[in-house]
Amino acid sequence: MNRWTGRADDLDDWLEQLKHEPELMDNVTHWHTIPPREARTSPLPYDLDSKLKAALQDRGVNELYVHQAKAYQAVREGRHVVAVTPTASGKTMCYNLPVLQSLLENDDGRALYMFPTKALAQDQVAELQKLADIMEVDIKTHTYDGDTPPTVRTAIRNAGHIVVTNPDMLHSAILPHHTKWVKLFENIRYIVIDELHAYRGVFGSHVANVIRRLKRICKFYGSSPQFICASATIDNPREHAERLIGEQVTLVDDNGAPMGEKHFIFYNPPVVNQQLGIRRSSVLETRKLAGMLLRQGVQTIVFARSRVRVELLLTYLQELIKDKVNDKTIRGYRGGYLPKLRREIERGLRSGEIRGVVSTNALELGIDIGQLQACVLNGYPGTVASTWQQSGRAGRRQTSSVTFMVASSNPLDQYIIQNPEYFFNRPPERALIHPDNLLILIDHVKCAAYELPFEMGEKFGSETLEDMLEFLVEEKVLHRTGNRWYWMEQSFPAHGISLRSAAQENFIIIDMSEGSRVLGEVDRFSAPTLIHDEAIYIHEGVQYQVEKLDYHEKKAYVRQVDVDYYTDANMAVELKVLHADKERISGEIVRTYGEVTVNAKATIFKKIKLRTHENIGSGPIHLPEEELHTSGYWFSFSEEAAAGKGTNEMQCALLGLANVLVHIAPVYLMCDPLDIRVVPQVKAVHTQRPTIYFYDRYPGGIGLSERLFDVHDELLERAHKMIRNCTCLSGCPACVGPIEEVGLLGKTQALQLLEEAGAGR
Amino acid sequence: MSAFRDRFNRLRGQSASTETAAEQTTGAAEIDERELSAATPDQDETDSDRGGRLDASASASESEQTHTSMSLPADVLEIVPEWEPHGVRLARNESGEFLLKETRYPVSYQHGIHAFSEWGEASSSLAAFHGIEEVMGAGSHADEETTARLAGEEVLFLDLETTGLGAGAGNVPFMLGIAYFENGEYVVRQSLIRHPAEERAMLADLKERLPRFRYLVTYNGRTFDWPVMQSRFIMNGFGSRVWEPLHLDFLHPSRSIWRNTLVSCKLSYVEEERLGVFREDDLPGSEAPGRYFAYLADGDPQPLLDVFKHNEIDMLSLAALAIRFGHLLGGRIGEAFPIPTEPEELVRTGLWLERMGRHDSALPLLELVRTSERGTPAVWNRLAERDKRLGDWACATALWEKAADAAEQASGMLNWDAHVELSMYFEHRAKDIHQALHYGRTALELALSHPLSGKADSKRRKEIDALKHRIDRLLRKAGR
Repeated sequence: MNRWTGRADDLDDWLEQLKHEPELMDNVTHWHTIPPREARTSPLPYDLDSKLKAALQDRGVNELYVHQAKAYQAVREGRHVVAVTPTASGKTMCYNLPVLQSLLENDDGRALYMFPTKALAQDQVAELQKLADIMEVDIKTHTYDGDTPPTVRTAIRNAGHIVVTNPDMLHSAILPHHTKWVKLFENIRYIVIDELHAYRGVFGSHVANVIRRLKRICKFYGSSPQFICASATIDNPREHAERLIGEQVTLVDDNGAPMGEKHFIFYNPPVVNQQLGIRRSSVLETRKLAGMLLRQGVQTIVFARSRVRVELLLTYLQELIKDKVNDKTIRGYRGGYLPKLRREIERGLRSGEIRGVVSTNALELGIDIGQLQACVLNGYPGTVASTWQQSGRAGRRQTSSVTFMVASSNPLDQYIIQNPEYFFNRPPERALIHPDNLLILIDHVKCAAYELPFEMGEKFGSETLEDMLEFLVEEKVLHRTGNRWYWMEQSFPAHGISLRSAAQENFIIIDMSEGSRVLGEVDRFSAPTLIHDEAIYIHEGVQYQVEKLDYHEKKAYVRQVDVDYYTDANMAVELKVLHADKERISGEIVRTYGEVTVNAKATIFKKIKLRTHENIGSGPIHLPEEELHTSGYWFSFSEEAAAGKGTNEMQCALLGLANVLVHIAPVYLMCDPLDIRVVPQVKAVHTQRPTIYFYDRYPGGIGLSERLFDVHDELLERAHKMIRNCTCLSGCPACVGPIEEVGLLGKTQALQLLEEAGAGR
Repeated sequence: MSAFRDRFNRLRGQSASTETAAEQTTGAAEIDERELSAATPDQDETDSDRGGRLDASASASESEQTHTSMSLPADVLEIVPEWEPHGVRLARNESGEFLLKETRYPVSYQHGIHAFSEWGEASSSLAAFHGIEEVMGAGSHADEETTARLAGEEVLFLDLETTGLGAGAGNVPFMLGIAYFENGEYVVRQSLIRHPAEERAMLADLKERLPRFRYLVTYNGRTFDWPVMQSRFIMNGFGSRVWEPLHLDFLHPSRSIWRNTLVSCKLSYVEEERLGVFREDDLPGSEAPGRYFAYLADGDPQPLLDVFKHNEIDMLSLAALAIRFGHLLGGRIGEAFPIPTEPEELVRTGLWLERMGRHDSALPLLELVRTSERGTPAVWNRLAERDKRLGDWACATALWEKAADAAEQASGMLNWDAHVELSMYFEHRAKDIHQALHYGRTALELALSHPLSGKADSKRRKEIDALKHRIDRLLRKAGR
């Protein structure tokens, strides 16, 4: 330690000091140290072009990590490959190397790179261009996205060796205009799909269909490209890749990259009310830890789960440095910031000018922000995979790094923080997609028909294609002549179909404080709870109040305000069963998987005071109801199990159980926590029994409920264990929910119900 | 199948009722109204665009003249009973079958103010659209007069009717109109496919004809008709380089000349306002796809007759427009057609001719603008900009002064561009700071003579700031 400034010499020194601060250490439930890892390498491949070899050596690369060498080998053998390696392990080399080698061998070859976001694409082009420049060869890499000026588009179409784009652009611009891309499609050798794990859920299901269309077009031009995919660590990389691209793939997951020592610290905020099981706010504790790191001069990234939290933490942390000269050293980052601002923040992080950043999972993807030294997670990010991804943002090859995970009081966080072995020993979640979701599939059948007429005997997804085509003929979208189906409609189908969510358009937020300017945007599903009339919307740490939400024009008009509260909205949900597909009985519980209809409506919002987080008022929300037809899974208790419980008691038991389940269900799914919803009913219309419903929040479903149906027994066992092992007396936010919500006996009732039903014995 | 349909309808039915629910809670009437009002302007536009102002003169002139159809060798054309009354027959080649209508117009035919007999003279000047090297091959430098001539029979006119918008892969040209001059006749050849599978045969027929042409004439064909054709050739396996013509897309010169004098530069406006062509009961182009879908459904030719007619008139007007531009480039303005009366059109025509290298034709027109009594500051400024570029400061300042006077006298017209130009001229060229200051200040007065309002005036605010800046600088200079 420097005795004059009180600053630690380096991170190791600081961590050592930390161990001697009982105040903090009391809250540390687990301190996991991952020892440094030596590099495991292979020599550069013998068949590597001498120019490429020289360029690599020029950049200090004299050998490859084993995973890079294995990926290269597999690609050279003509196989489809998925490489799975953690953040900062040099995974881009897994695909850049074989692609560049191939282009050096044959100048006519082409490759298509697909990244989930534009920002990632731009980093990639810079990287490839650098290598090409060192080699002094004419390999042209271009991004082709919404920002590409029309004047250079033609040149890229004809002359770009490597075209870097995103699935949306492929869907709405490249594939429908494939005749302008003859050169690319005739000569395409490789399709690179990075951040494979990002293509899951609804988005992934859409992208799988875009890839079906892409393969169809390649086939038309006589090419059959090889796929090279790269993914963060997930439980099922090979299965996921195979479902996404519809081909058999070779898995490369033997990470050979070195890593400095890594500390993973689980931090549980202290209990402030034993009776109610209330802990100190995770936001305040996050502020404390991040503040300590920032004051030590450690470049730190803070991840928070919601946009509101990001803005709250940003406000708090910026207060810390208020007296310093430059207030631009701590920044926020999230979806809804405009691209230019994001690029500026990324640059600042790389250069080190920005010392702290508070982000949603928007920075979880491989955007190049350099490697930071410390990471503070405000709450468990929701999945094991995502936790490792976010934590990977801190971590350098040589020096140590630290990640704090600050638990919130929700049951999933409490479960993870109290069962660290579960987190460290468990494979990460599975990435689920459902490309044959009928609504998604039919949309892409239309797009595919627009791109190329369908022929008798063709395959597209698992549904019987001919049925779909005949259906579209009846809908007067296609025209059948002989054994072919032609697009015969005036519209351009890709324009009406967005890959990103069921919502076709985002709501834009317009700041009316001074003139009018677009502040940001939110998706349709979030709009009723985030930007209803009178909501407080926080952007870059500044509060805005929504003056008017124009629901039909999809615009919210806001004005800057300075108030000491934020808002939180409630949704009311009604549910009907349409059709039961699968049914199973275990113990006193019958569980079913099938189709449901859900009606949801935002009802009221609460005003919550900043810092103390107390409820200081509320108001109604007047917005139209949304109806959703989707897949669901539900289970109901037998009369025997329910015997002896009055309606009220059953209500508490179910609510308590539902509260636990909604939080631990994501353990089995790789999804946004909002993608799967839970509804308890004391006497369900469909079953006439006490029932708990789960449903996918997307029309037609995306496979989440189905997966839960399969792991039902384990799910209930975990719920039981969690409630039983919770230290609270009669229910707390970490298990069945606070007493105000589930009553004094909620915890007991829920436990009883589970035991009567034979779950968790 | 029915199980599939049931499932889909359930999904779709639900989502449809979502919308209904949304409408009910917020007032369905409001939505309907909004949709209607969104749809109506288009409707209005197309109506008045295409069929609003009809006149009998086109049909009158047509009926006076004779034209013969169905002149192809009989062995390739078969009779199809339902089409026979409409002059349409079945053509067949190795790739399949399609329908064909051929109409021949004698060169005496008068379409609006131009007759097709003018083509020979007019066409020879059209080569000016392409550089001499492009026309004659690299290395050519023979003098323009004798070599860069375009033979009238090398030109192919093209206009498509398609099932949708844009040049995406799913937009199919169901009717392909081509036309050319041959043996003293203007031949309009319209192909129609009875279903999409016939497209290949229609394209094969076109492909066979293309080699004898060197030039392609279209209206908006650079961004639409030709890219669509290239896409169709690729889609049907003919490759991407079937034909590489020298393209004359008359939309672009039409815009250069008539941008501010016509309501719109759509062909229907240009032909009516400048070529004297008046259509009767014309089908709006936007309705053509719907007519074709109706035909696909039941095979009744009736809905397509209007499409044939619409496309045919397009082909005729395209030729008339080509004649007009040929005359213009050949220096026959005032002989073959009247000199524009609007100074705005006059100056744009003159400047366009200059850009095309026709200085001798351009100068007299520009002189007319200089002396015109009806000019506006905008017109004079446009011409002055050209003088300034050429370094003709005397002419430029004379025009700016005229423009400045006019702007000062006119009330309600906010234009101080000339003042700014003069201020710059006196500051940097004439080195007369006093005069420069005078014009700078007058410009600022003009700019401030109307109250500023909100966001609409953000551009004016910026200009005002720039003017203040300019005056400050001039004052500093003057003080030195």
